[in-house]
Order: sequence, then structure tokens, then C-alpha cells
Amino acid sequence: MSRVVVIGAGLAGLVAANRLAEAGVQVVLLHKGLGGLQLGQGTIDVFGYAPARVSNPIKAVGSVATTHPYAAIGAKAVLTGVDYLKKLLPELLLGDPESNYQLPTAVGAIRPTCLAQPSMIAGHVTDGAKLVIVGIRGLKDFQPQLVAENLARTPLPDGGRLRARHLWVDVPARDGEVDSSGLTYARAFDDETFRVRFAKAVVGQLREDEIVGLPAVLGLKDLHAWRDLAGKLGHRVFEIPLPPPSIPGLRLSEALTARALAAGVRIVPGVRTVGYASSGDRVTSVTTAAGLGGRSYTADAFLLATGGFESGALNLDSHQVVRETLFNLPLAGLDQTPLIHGEYWGPEQPLFKVGVAVNPKMQAVDAAGIPVFANLYAAGGIIAGASGWTEKSGDGIALASAIVAAAAISKELA
Amino acid sequence: MNGEDTSSELSTGLEFAGHALSRASLDACVKCTICETQCPVAAVTPLFSGPKFVGPQAERFRNGESVDHSLDYCSSCGTCTLVCPQGVQIAELNSQARAVMKVGHMPLRDRLIGQTVLMGTLMTPVAPLARAVLNNKPLRKVMEVVVGVHADAPMPPPQSQTFESWFAKRPTPAGPFPRGAVVFFHGCAGGYFEVETSKKSVEVLERLGFEVLVPKQGCCGLAQQSNGLFKQASASVLKLCDDLRTAGKDLTIISSSGSCTGMLKHEASEIMGVDDERLRDVGTRTRDIMEFLLDLHEAGELPTDFATVEMTVPYHAPCQLKSQGIGKPALEVLRLIPGLTVVDSNATCCGIAGTYGLKKEKYEVAQAVGKPLFDMVKATNPELALCDTETCRWQIEQSSGVKTEHPIWMIHKAYGLS
Repeated sequence: MSRVVVIGAGLAGLVAANRLAEAGVQVVLLHKGLGGLQLGQGTIDVFGYAPARVSNPIKAVGSVATTHPYAAIGAKAVLTGVDYLKKLLPELLLGDPESNYQLPTAVGAIRPTCLAQPSMIAGHVTDGAKLVIVGIRGLKDFQPQLVAENLARTPLPDGGRLRARHLWVDVPARDGEVDSSGLTYARAFDDETFRVRFAKAVVGQLREDEIVGLPAVLGLKDLHAWRDLAGKLGHRVFEIPLPPPSIPGLRLSEALTARALAAGVRIVPGVRTVGYASSGDRVTSVTTAAGLGGRSYTADAFLLATGGFESGALNLDSHQVVRETLFNLPLAGLDQTPLIHGEYWGPEQPLFKVGVAVNPKMQAVDAAGIPVFANLYAAGGIIAGASGWTEKSGDGIALASAIVAAAAISKELA
Repeated sequence: MNGEDTSSELSTGLEFAGHALSRASLDACVKCTICETQCPVAAVTPLFSGPKFVGPQAERFRNGESVDHSLDYCSSCGTCTLVCPQGVQIAELNSQARAVMKVGHMPLRDRLIGQTVLMGTLMTPVAPLARAVLNNKPLRKVMEVVVGVHADAPMPPPQSQTFESWFAKRPTPAGPFPRGAVVFFHGCAGGYFEVETSKKSVEVLERLGFEVLVPKQGCCGLAQQSNGLFKQASASVLKLCDDLRTAGKDLTIISSSGSCTGMLKHEASEIMGVDDERLRDVGTRTRDIMEFLLDLHEAGELPTDFATVEMTVPYHAPCQLKSQGIGKPALEVLRLIPGLTVVDSNATCCGIAGTYGLKKEKYEVAQAVGKPLFDMVKATNPELALCDTETCRWQIEQSSGVKTEHPIWMIHKAYGLS
């Protein structure tokens, strides 16, 4: 049986591991810590700004410059990926690749995204909607007045306006704590008796036809907690994601991990992959640091899904030298100087488009387009050419590059 | 019990991290909260403010003693370090800070429960009596009040014969041993209390064609380390390295004591800062027995002529095994046995965390931490569960009522040895 080592447990690593395992490949997933999925919003951004606000994300994917990762990945893989996630996690992701949701954020802005959790959908902004944003006194990361007033004064992307007001309730998540994290609240919302108490505190303050916006803490393990609460309130309810710990992000990360384990993926957590061995044009093994010794993992193919600067996959030293930290791969995007300009609020920093160049199979390639190793692939944030957070394209790139890489690896090993 | 926890500890460099690298790692913390989301203790009690607050955040303000005394509620399970994507040694920082905090007022209990060899030596000759005492409710209540060990907490099961005595007295195995020699490290629990696990491990290794050497060996010092007695623990671990090195150079050292292997592989160096060639030598040669079997399998050298075992069994990977960065080797090996369905608990922690869950003030917290695991075990198979480390097995067994054994028991059975 062929074996693939996937390095990294973010969206790219988890999707690729799932796809490979489903294709009958033995997968070992190495990660040095949990991936960034649970730090995000728990949604799948495909294309949000190009640079103007995008309403049809798949159309924007098809219109990128040749240096953009989507050019090598292709719109077809994005559609495959979106469809795959919707089918894999039907309780967690809904959406249409031809139409972004426009969802309220925790500062009352309106954020475009392609796939969102069912618990968020009622927040999609529409002209004339009446929102009430509910804050919880014990949860400091969510300020309902800020959200409501910003939403009320913002012209909606498709025109029109909504109405929004706010209110507060004081329902402690657990005894002995006055300042609880979103996670503690989410665990409380998993419990039906807490939902009953919470609904009782809110319901009398609601007005007819109001849609109720709440911090995204409506259950962690119980994916129907939000629906149950909506039933108890007799109103439509939506969640607004908070800064980390992000409950919707955790739900997504845990669901993808659980499915990978169920599909037979062997996960080795908490290990930094620090070296590799190669023979000819192939990587033969990677080595992890584990205690005083190290361990080697041999495989037929390797997928680098280690992220970017934020995760240590790329490193910038004090001499302005950028390195890919595991394979020392050649990097694209270094030709723009300076890599970092001094204008904090100025145009985008060129540094953040630096990364590994890939071909349409997602093999890591050098400047001439030749694969560095025949069996080394890359997916996700490590790929050069995009600033995921300004475009809101990072999830789509991770998802679709993982789909392409997994397919290319399966084909190669078949 | 000579009151060694006083000022002499401070003079050995304990004011800060035993390991300077742990302290340096806190600068890599980006406050992402991933550790907070996985902490099993903070999930069940507001008494612990969580690994990020107590760890990298409080460490910045620490000049000697920690500013956050909820630190005492950290169980040192190590989950935070395992999940941190930035390489911050959160659990190690916390263990070090707690050791400093306890200097000068180390409870007698915490000194006593680190004395694992002493416990074994005292109990083995009087095993039936010791068992009776440990199962006697009124006496346990007295022990709770006087010593601070909770009356319902799991206790080591005293045995009438030590592993060492069995090994010395049994008929010399005939061999042959075509694969050469390996060293067996039994650990205190494996020597005095979990004797059957050690015996079965040796028998499986011999069945595979290895000659098993068992040098006379002492304690790794883990229980002292987890209670903040770094000086004694450092001396113990180096003494153990000397003991194990007497068996021969370059031999693989195999153990079925999952937590003691962790002490040799990384905890002594990462938590206590032990920097010694003997530890590096032993630490890099040490393998958990299931890890060793998986290595053999991956090299195509593990016979898989296992008998069919028609059973569904829950398996729980202990924290101290997960911290070794080897994944869950037992799961992979057990899945080679035909008919056997192994269900991974996927639980973070059983709550005991070495000696944490024994302590009267931590007992309820530990029980709450382990509850999802106990429920899962009972629902999966009320007769048998598998888990790699001793205190975790005692905790699971005591709290779920389900007999809990080391995975090697199943391998032993599937090879027709029992």
C-alpha cells in the first residue's frame, strides 16, 4: 500500500489527508500543533475582494492574473472542493460558489464569504431586515452596541439598509466565574438546561419579526444547539464569529479531524518536522523532532501544507532573507523590492505574496518551472502569489490546492 | 522526607526555568488560544485560569514565584504543549513555575507520593494486608484527613511478587534469540504493582526472538518531578541512566511504562533541564513497547500470525505517551489483530495526570476531567479497556469499574501466550 506524509493540520492538510485516505492511500499526518482553522471564522472564503467586494466568487476565481495561485489551481478544482466540503460536512457548511453570503462581523462590518455555517445564515444582510444584537455580560469579546450601530449606519452591498438595535443579558456560563471565554459559553450552550435559562432571559425583550444576532458560542459539540435556541425564542437566530477561541472554527477543525481519523489517517500531533532525506529526484523520508531523539517517516509522496510566515513555514531573518524552513525550497515573489515598505496603512506589503511556486499538479517548482522533487507537493498558505486575508481567498486556495494535490498524488501512486 | 525542598532547591537554579529554552519559547506565543481550547482542566473548573494565562502570560511577570497561583491546579498533562502550533513549551513552563512556587512549603503528601520505590518495597512483602488497607474505607478516610490523599482515589494494586523476583526465579528461557538483545526498563510501577504487564512484555519480546536483559534499576523520578522535587528527581533519573547503561552499549531500551519512557525521552531534559550525556544516550535509545512493535511492523519485521480475538475494546492513549511525539502506536499495532475492533477514546485526559487526581483538593476536578472517558469506556465494553500507563489504568478502572490493561496484554493473547 502506498503511503503519503502530509505535513500540517490546517484546512489544506486536513482536506488532503481526507481525500487521500478516501482514495485508499495510507496517510500519516504530522503536525507541530493544531492548525489555524480554529482561529478563523469557521466559514470558507473563496474570494471576497478582488479588490472590490465580490458577489460571485467562482467568477472572480476565473479572472485572476497568471501569478495568482488560482491560475494554477483552476476554477474547476475550487468547485470540486466546495462541493466536497458541503457533502462531507452538511451540518456545518452551506453556500453557493456563485454567490457570496454577506455576514455581519463582531465589529458590525459586513463580510463576504462563500460557505457559512447554518447557524450564521439568518445574518445574511437584506434590505429592511430588523436585527437585534444580543450581548452577554460575562463575555467581554462581544459588544452588541458596536455591532448594531455600525450595521445600522452601513449601506448594504446590494443597496438598502437594515435596522439594528442591541440588548444585554446577564446569564453566567458557570458558577465561580465572572469573565468567561467564548469556549466556556459554547460548552454551556451544549447543555439544554442552560439554553432554557438563556432563552428565558432573552425572550421577553424581543420584538416581533426581529432576527436575533448572538456571539458565535451557541454550542460546540451539539451542532443543533442554535436551532434549538431559535425554537425556544420563536425567532430566527444567527451567530457572529468572535476573535479566537473561535467556536465555529473549532467545529470545523474538529469535524475534519474526526473524519480523517475515521477514514484511517494516522495523526502524529505535537511534532515539528525538521529535516528530510532524498534520493535522486525524490524525497524518501522526513524527520520529526521528538524529545531527545527524532523519528523518520518514509513515504512515496509528501505534501507540504505548513502555512506561511504565521506558522513558521516561511521565515524572514534580519538580513531580509526569506526561507522555506523545511525543504529550503526556491521561493517566488522575492523580485519585488523592498519586500517590506514603511507605510503601515499603505499598500499591501509585497513580502506576504512570497511563497513556493507550484505547477498545475501542485508540485513545488523552481524558477524554471521544474519540480524540485518529483514527489513533493504543496498546498495552502505556503503557495506564492496571494494575500489570502486581503482578498479573502485563503480558504479557497487551501481547499482547492489540497484537492488538486491529493488527486495528483493518488494518480501518481496508482 | 528529609525536608530537601527548602532553600537548597533555589540554589540549584530553580528560580526560573530548569531549561532556559522553555523560557525562551514563551516569546513565540502569539496568544492564539489554541492551548486554552484543549486544556482538560480549565474545561471543567474555573479554579484554573488556563494554560495561556498561567503559562506564557504569567511567566512574563514571574521573578521567582509565579503571580498566578491557580497554577497549582494545572495537572501537567502536557496537552497545551502538544497542541501549540508555535512550539511554546507551556506545560514545561508551568511545571517549572509550580516547582518554584512550592519551594519552602512542599506538602508532606507531595513528598511521600513521589517515593514510588519506597511504596513498592513496603507493600510487596505484605501485599494482602496492603490491599486490605487500601480498600478499607474508614482507613482511607483517615488517610485523606492526615495525608491529603482522597479516600476514593485509585491506589496502586500491591502484588505478592516483584517483577525482578519473577525474572530472576523463572526458568531460563531456551531461546533462540536470533534478533539479539534488548534492555527492558520496567519502571517502579512495572516492578512492584503492574508486574503482569512487565512479564507479558518480556514474553512477547522473547516470542519475537529478542533476548531480554533486565539490569537492576531504580526509579526515573517522574513522581518527584511532577510534584516539583526537581533535585531528587534529577538525581534519580541520572542514577537510572547509569543502571540501564550497565546492560550494554547501543542496545534498544524498551519499556511498558508509558510515562517513565516520557521522563527519559524528554521530560527530564525539557522540564528539569537535565543536560547530561548519559541521559542523551539513554533517552535516544528508549522506546515505548508499542512504539517498538510498530517500528518492527513498518520495517516488515513483526510477525502478524495473530489469533483472532473477536472483541470490541476501548483504547485510551495517555497524555504522557502522546507527549512523546509518536502518535498512538498501540492503536496501529492492535488493529493488526484479526477480529479485534479497537475504538479510540479520543479523550484528552483521564484526569489522574500522575498523582494529581489522588490529591483530595484535586480529586473532583480529576473526576470531571475523566468523566467523558469513563462514560465512553463503559459504553464500549464493560469488561475490558486498554491504556498504556499505570496510573491512568488505575484511574479508569476505579472510576468506570471496567478492568483496564496495557495493550501488550492483547498482543500477548493474540500471539497465543495467554
